[in-house]
Amino acid sequence: MLGTAPPGVAMAKAKAPLRLGPAVEVVVIVTGALLTAAAIFSLFLLAIGHSPVRFFELVYIGGFGSSFSFQNTLRRAAPLILTGLAFAIPARIGLTMIGAEGALVIGALAAAALAVPIVTQGWPVALTLTAMALAAVFAGGLWTGFAGWLRHSRGVNETISTLLLAYIATAVLFFFVEGPLRDPGSANRPSTMPIGRDYMIGTLPGTNVHWGLVAGILCCIVLWLVMSRTTFGFAVRLSGGNPRAALAQGLPVGKLVVLCAAIAGGLAGLAGFFEVAAVHGQANAALVAGYGFTGILVAFLARQNPLAIIPVAILFGALAASGGLIQRRMGLPDASVLVLQGTIFVTLLAAETLYGRFKIFRPRGDER
Amino acid sequence: MDLTDSALFTVLVAMLGGAIRVSTPFLFVAVGECLTEKSGRINLGLEGNLVLGAMVAYATSFHTGEPWLGVLAAGVSGIFLGLIHGTLCSLPRVNDIAVGIAMMAFGTGLAFYFGRPYIQPPAPLLPSIPLGNWTGIPSLQRALEINPLFFVGIAVALLMSWFFRSTRWGLIVRTTGDSAPAAKAMGVNVDLVRILATASGGFLAGVGGSFLSLYYPGSWNEGLSSGQGLMAVALVIFARWDPIRCIWAAFLFGAAGAIGPAFQAIGITQGFYFFNAAPYILTLFILASSARSRSSAREAPGELSIVK
Amino acid sequence: MNASPAPLAPTRAPSLHATGMRKVFGELVALDDVELHVRAGTVHALLGENGAGKSTLVKCIMGFYRQDAGTVRLDGEEVHVRSPKDAQAAGIGMVYQHFTLVPSLTAAENLVVARADAPAIIDWGKERAKLQAFMARMPFRVPLDVPVADLSAGEKQKLEILKLLALDQRFLILDEPTSVLTPDEADEVLGLLGRMAHEGQITVLMITHKFREVSAYADDVTVLRRGALAGSGPALSLGVERLSRLMIGETTLRARAERRPVDGDTVLELAGLFAHHPDGSEAFHGINLKVREGEIVGIAGVSGNGQSALVEALAGQRPLSDGRIFIRGEPFEPKRDAYHRFKVFGLPEEPLKNAAVPRMSVAENIAFRSFDRPPISGAGGWMSLRPLRQRAQELIERYRVKTPSPDTPIEHLSGGNVQRAILARELSGDVDVLVVANPCFGLDFASVAEIRAQIMDARNRGAAVLLVSEDLDEILELADRVAVMSEGRIDYVAPIGETDRTTIGKHMAAHGP
Repeated sequence: MLGTAPPGVAMAKAKAPLRLGPAVEVVVIVTGALLTAAAIFSLFLLAIGHSPVRFFELVYIGGFGSSFSFQNTLRRAAPLILTGLAFAIPARIGLTMIGAEGALVIGALAAAALAVPIVTQGWPVALTLTAMALAAVFAGGLWTGFAGWLRHSRGVNETISTLLLAYIATAVLFFFVEGPLRDPGSANRPSTMPIGRDYMIGTLPGTNVHWGLVAGILCCIVLWLVMSRTTFGFAVRLSGGNPRAALAQGLPVGKLVVLCAAIAGGLAGLAGFFEVAAVHGQANAALVAGYGFTGILVAFLARQNPLAIIPVAILFGALAASGGLIQRRMGLPDASVLVLQGTIFVTLLAAETLYGRFKIFRPRGDER
Repeated sequence: MDLTDSALFTVLVAMLGGAIRVSTPFLFVAVGECLTEKSGRINLGLEGNLVLGAMVAYATSFHTGEPWLGVLAAGVSGIFLGLIHGTLCSLPRVNDIAVGIAMMAFGTGLAFYFGRPYIQPPAPLLPSIPLGNWTGIPSLQRALEINPLFFVGIAVALLMSWFFRSTRWGLIVRTTGDSAPAAKAMGVNVDLVRILATASGGFLAGVGGSFLSLYYPGSWNEGLSSGQGLMAVALVIFARWDPIRCIWAAFLFGAAGAIGPAFQAIGITQGFYFFNAAPYILTLFILASSARSRSSAREAPGELSIVK
Repeated sequence: MNASPAPLAPTRAPSLHATGMRKVFGELVALDDVELHVRAGTVHALLGENGAGKSTLVKCIMGFYRQDAGTVRLDGEEVHVRSPKDAQAAGIGMVYQHFTLVPSLTAAENLVVARADAPAIIDWGKERAKLQAFMARMPFRVPLDVPVADLSAGEKQKLEILKLLALDQRFLILDEPTSVLTPDEADEVLGLLGRMAHEGQITVLMITHKFREVSAYADDVTVLRRGALAGSGPALSLGVERLSRLMIGETTLRARAERRPVDGDTVLELAGLFAHHPDGSEAFHGINLKVREGEIVGIAGVSGNGQSALVEALAGQRPLSDGRIFIRGEPFEPKRDAYHRFKVFGLPEEPLKNAAVPRMSVAENIAFRSFDRPPISGAGGWMSLRPLRQRAQELIERYRVKTPSPDTPIEHLSGGNVQRAILARELSGDVDVLVVANPCFGLDFASVAEIRAQIMDARNRGAAVLLVSEDLDEILELADRVAVMSEGRIDYVAPIGETDRTTIGKHMAAHGP
């Protein structure tokens, strides 16, 4: 009980126990969880007669070992950054939206669909790409914004609705790709008409990493600033932390919910745009690659912090990038990377339970 | 005139057969998820159980030559994943939705990892019961070749409905799902009930997976599941947490999934994707129109994170 | 253990003696050598303020906590209760404030599942016959086949009690039973239980903090104060004055605070307000009320009669289905601009739940009113953190909020300090309208006095105050006028000097179910 302590802020200086603060807590717990996951996976490898040392060595080589492999890593990280953000931003207002997969697909489809007529008309490249990007962001935003609206006006749980919408999005993609928008030339793999090499967005100078990485990193920085330093971000955090208190402050919680949901879809749609404009050059079934779902776990690992999403996405990009090498050098199926990913996810989520348990990470003066 | 009649007949028969085949895995995951959700927990990771179950069933059948042993092994693999999910979610502050997605990644990862050698070799498949011989119509006979697992699934659903109404354990599961404080006041170990319910649900989802690899489509490959496990959640909501309604919902979802192949049988290859999506659109519509009604509030387990 | 809800054998009410009970949480001594003697076949009141140790004592008896020292004897035999299950086996049952019934199960299912010896497979034909036979013997009845969610609060309370009786629990602990019952329901239920006790069928221990209930229903009373035994004895021999001195110590009962007379204009006007619950049922109906400048209007009522819905509607947390709110004659919508323009502020109950964001810092929580105005907010919604912190520092000092730093998450503060931080935010400026709901719920004595003084101060500075409280004493102490809300309506409004506790109580029960 604080009964006899003098009032005011300069209170807890007298006896200052060692306190590391919550920021260190995150780093320690996340690192600990990663090491635990690595240990569990090592046991798994040992049990089936493979060397864990060799495995992690290859992960390093395959992910970061050469400039080629690092570029491969970054290429795979780019969509994860955006889909990670697409989970993290609505999470700040208390939404658990798992539909980035759907918004990515719809955004990509919108971009590809728009490209068909304007590429044939020979619009300038920059204008075409801008229009495609806007279409993707807009379509993705509408797609998940709808889920936000359902939540706000009809009380429909956004986790379920975004899951359903992800499924519906895939059906919409297949419908258009095999029907009205099908390029007759795409025989084995129904696709939309390719936008053509000239219209593909370029890579960063001197690399084969596309601009989606830069866009993703920019989005992370901008959204971090918006969330932590603007009245909009403050209102979002207030509404997410306690919607009742936010309403009592007269904040338009419903509108903020819909807006955050739409921003999420816009980000995923942007990822979809880069998949079309920088990777595939057209829309087809390859868009349904699970980036949306992996993004959820990226966001969880980053604890919904936009800046932390960047390194986490790169880590997962490296894991994915090293799959091929592991298959070639160790004769392990590339799915071993999936197992490792799964182990990391599960361990990390289990580690959530550790937060707040250790006194050493609490702010000074908090002696609960 | 005669032609359209027969085309319609072909489509309907193909849909009937297809619905029965496609709905069976739906039925198992839905009934399993229903049990889990009735205990107040949601498992989004049944897709992992389904895929791992499919792989384990196929591998077991390949090695032992005994497909029914494969079904059992698939169920056991489902229990394994369910136990992990249930245990992790019992830790404070651990989010069941995220764990579900992680388990989906983990389960499919394991299945792909260990399943690599089984993509090529053929394994003994489950037999079916020819129920249509009396019709004398070949297409109908084919449609009515029904796998025993379909009837097992229906039996499990009926049994579960009885379990919820008329057994002490059933009432305890419902109590745990509706009000954890009430269950605790009775001295019920809430976490244990939920872990067991998730493990049992995982068992059923694993069995559902065995149907995929051992009957229809009847082989093991990495693209085997088309998301049936993930949609179990939607199905259970559609069925409003009632095992018997899960049967109808699974059949409806199965029929919608069977429309595509049925159309293909008469040469229509386009446009059926919207039928595939129809159950999901319908579920969304039902949610939007009933989410705030009093009756739906009562049907949904009060402890379920997704209905709060 | 019996295989069925055994018929109530007469004269089996047990006595309970708890001696030397001690329980320490960290540095807080929650119970210090407390004694409780409950005679067989009596209704015993356990009286004390919030935080006096009543619930800790009962939780030790029920096996939720293990006491650090002390013994519990039932009919003279020492019992070791390690869990609520042990308590049930010993015949001790408790009715909680938050019902332990399962909403989606029917009354019959609830009664069966609660039994430790319920059969693995339930033969509903047989069980129903047994339940009906049991019901027939009980002094009150509840429909068996309706889901509990559809029962009224009174019926739920009865069902809770029936559940314990069906389980053959002869020692019943009731936790503030009247907080969810109208006075009529309370009279019925507690009257019947009293009769059963005096027939020697059961023994009742009733937790309460209301004097009236002690004199109305209890044979004996034990009073706790700050975790220690303050006194005990037959209820009749201890008058209200004696009880209150035991309960709150030697301080005198709070007198009505100093106030200047009300002579201002109408500021807040509620005109024909209607609202509904999410399930479509009506929350309140045709609320008309005026509050003048420098006046406190208290809304009394049993919890669950629409008061919290009214507060939510005024705070913008619940849409109105009809009616208008006027402030100084202008229509008011609970939107941010209007709050600012009309200087409307609010103190909700349980501030950490209703007025704060637990994970945001104290400084941020204090800035909820000002974050989007200069000097904190600049061009394009960019926030300057320096003025935000400065303002927080000032208010933390002025309102004596005890916090390690302005950057500490507010959830780490004690309840009184959270409420002080919210007071600082809501009352430090110019207040024209103040909506207050159960502001002292769960706070210690010192904080209560301080917060009531602040509310009175706001009134004296000219604010129109609407005070919603379940604590009639609070309303009698603070309000200039009292309005009674029952079944979602306000049918009785009177100046405080022209009414009394009995009249108000009668109106609280006016529409009773």
